[in-house]
Amino acid sequence: MRPAEPRPADRTGAGEPVAGAATSGSRKARDGRRAERLAPYVLIAPALLIIVGLRLWPLMLGVNFSLTGDGERNGTSVGLDNYADLFDDPLFRTALRNVGLLVLLLPVAVALPGLLATFIYLRVPGHRLFRSVYFFPAVLSPVIVGAIFNLLLAYDGPLNAVLGGAGAGPVDWLGDPRVAVFAVVGVHVWATFGMALVVFLAGFATLDPALLDAARVDGASLPQSIRHVIIPGLARTIQFVFVTTMIGMLTSMFGLLYVMTGGGPEGSTYLPEYYIWVQQGQMNRPALASAASTVLFLIMLVVGLVQIHLLRRVGRED
Amino acid sequence: MSRRLGRWLVAVPMAVLALATVYPLLFAANVAMKTRREYILDRFSLTGTLHWENLGIAWNSVGMARYFVNSLVVVAGAVALLLIIGSMAGFALSQLRFRGSTALFLICLAALFIPFQVIMVPLARTMADLGLIDTYPGLILAYVAQFLPFTVFLMTSYYRAVPSEIIDAARIDGNTVYGVYRRIMLPMGAPALLSVGILNALFCWNDVLISLLMMPSADHRTLMVGVTSLRGQYSDDIPTFAAGVLIAAVPVLVTYLFLQRQIADGVTAGATKG
Repeated sequence: MRPAEPRPADRTGAGEPVAGAATSGSRKARDGRRAERLAPYVLIAPALLIIVGLRLWPLMLGVNFSLTGDGERNGTSVGLDNYADLFDDPLFRTALRNVGLLVLLLPVAVALPGLLATFIYLRVPGHRLFRSVYFFPAVLSPVIVGAIFNLLLAYDGPLNAVLGGAGAGPVDWLGDPRVAVFAVVGVHVWATFGMALVVFLAGFATLDPALLDAARVDGASLPQSIRHVIIPGLARTIQFVFVTTMIGMLTSMFGLLYVMTGGGPEGSTYLPEYYIWVQQGQMNRPALASAASTVLFLIMLVVGLVQIHLLRRVGRED
Repeated sequence: MSRRLGRWLVAVPMAVLALATVYPLLFAANVAMKTRREYILDRFSLTGTLHWENLGIAWNSVGMARYFVNSLVVVAGAVALLLIIGSMAGFALSQLRFRGSTALFLICLAALFIPFQVIMVPLARTMADLGLIDTYPGLILAYVAQFLPFTVFLMTSYYRAVPSEIIDAARIDGNTVYGVYRRIMLPMGAPALLSVGILNALFCWNDVLISLLMMPSADHRTLMVGVTSLRGQYSDDIPTFAAGVLIAAVPVLVTYLFLQRQIADGVTAGATKG
């Protein structure tokens, strides 16, 4: 997106020239100058007030709050008791284990849209249609996606019918504790890979096509071109997709969990965000929920920084 | 020749994937048009007669109409505020020189990395203290707070590309800073405002967590929260359930059909301008 040139009509503003009035030193002009100096602050004040008051301040409050007690000990300082409770809770430990699983699956969730974007960039037949179709689930609410997949993944639903037709036994996608978390993550990837795909395509638009042509003339195969031209050329885009995909996995699966599994079966699909919600809304333990929030924030910081560090190093080696 | 063949070989699995991408929604649409009996007997085959009345049943019986209006009010309010506040801040941060501008930009940027889940407990308390829980202004304010850092960031980077000569010229013509904002920056920002506006509208429309937290009473449910309650009420009437889901999806589908470009622009702006 680039701003267009304004139409001439936009330039001619109302009001008389200020130059004459300013030199006269009248009170009105002084007030005018002061108003002008303050103008940037006035323009930014609403945004700043909301961001500081409702984003940054709550972050501090939350950390502080996580060091106080729930219920009878409400308001009193309890040190790190909430954090001890947290790591004793099998549900929270499951949530952390699932975060580990997400980190392991992350390269797949990045490589899949990356590869598809490469093919679309190389104009496989139907590339325009593919682009539109792949992107479309990304605009649907997780609630709608989850509701539909509840039907598709039902024990007597279409997916098991297809498997049955191929001779494979029915799988209890959302009822088997060993399977459910993979089912939910799979649905999340299905619903969001289009987002990463579009970002990759925007990255490709900045890639110099002459480089790829040169590689082709030199007889490079597609995997070689990807390895030596596309990956180094898109290093920043890849880094961006890694970080945003990870953030998406940690913070936008609530809707799916809420609709598809409710954290079950046997708590196997808990993620930190769902745990926070349950402790705050259902169990009435806001201080414990705040401690979980703080842990989630630290996880995201660490994962984000490690990724940027690793990817920088990979970028330098090329 | 072999390269051409290779392209077609790649296109086949990609077409299968495309089919897998649209199938779930088509399945839901097909189910929504069946009678309960038809669904139980055969859930896969294409329905013979379209039972549009299912949509009416879903719309009227569980308060979908009410939830729909709630969502419209909240989304419209939040998007309008986001665009006004975000473009004002974006203009100041990109084009005006004033003390502390870099620090203020960094504050907005830092807020971008605070997910809602991390601040939801204290935020709910603050909102309760302000008496804003379970009110439209409360939910609108929560959405504005959630999506404002992103909006400010995008508007700032968009407005940076506006040549300063244009603003200088407008100033010489006698415009105040506010005049420049109203007569130059708002019209010039239209493409970005459209993109950011649609994206914010989608985010707010699709949200369930913030809405659950801020609007606990059944009367004030937004549409997505309403959809989550459909399941319980229609667990033995899947076609009506699917019809409700379809109603909730239609506004987004229509938006996507007409404004796909703008949505993609908004999504990628963060990547190419970061």
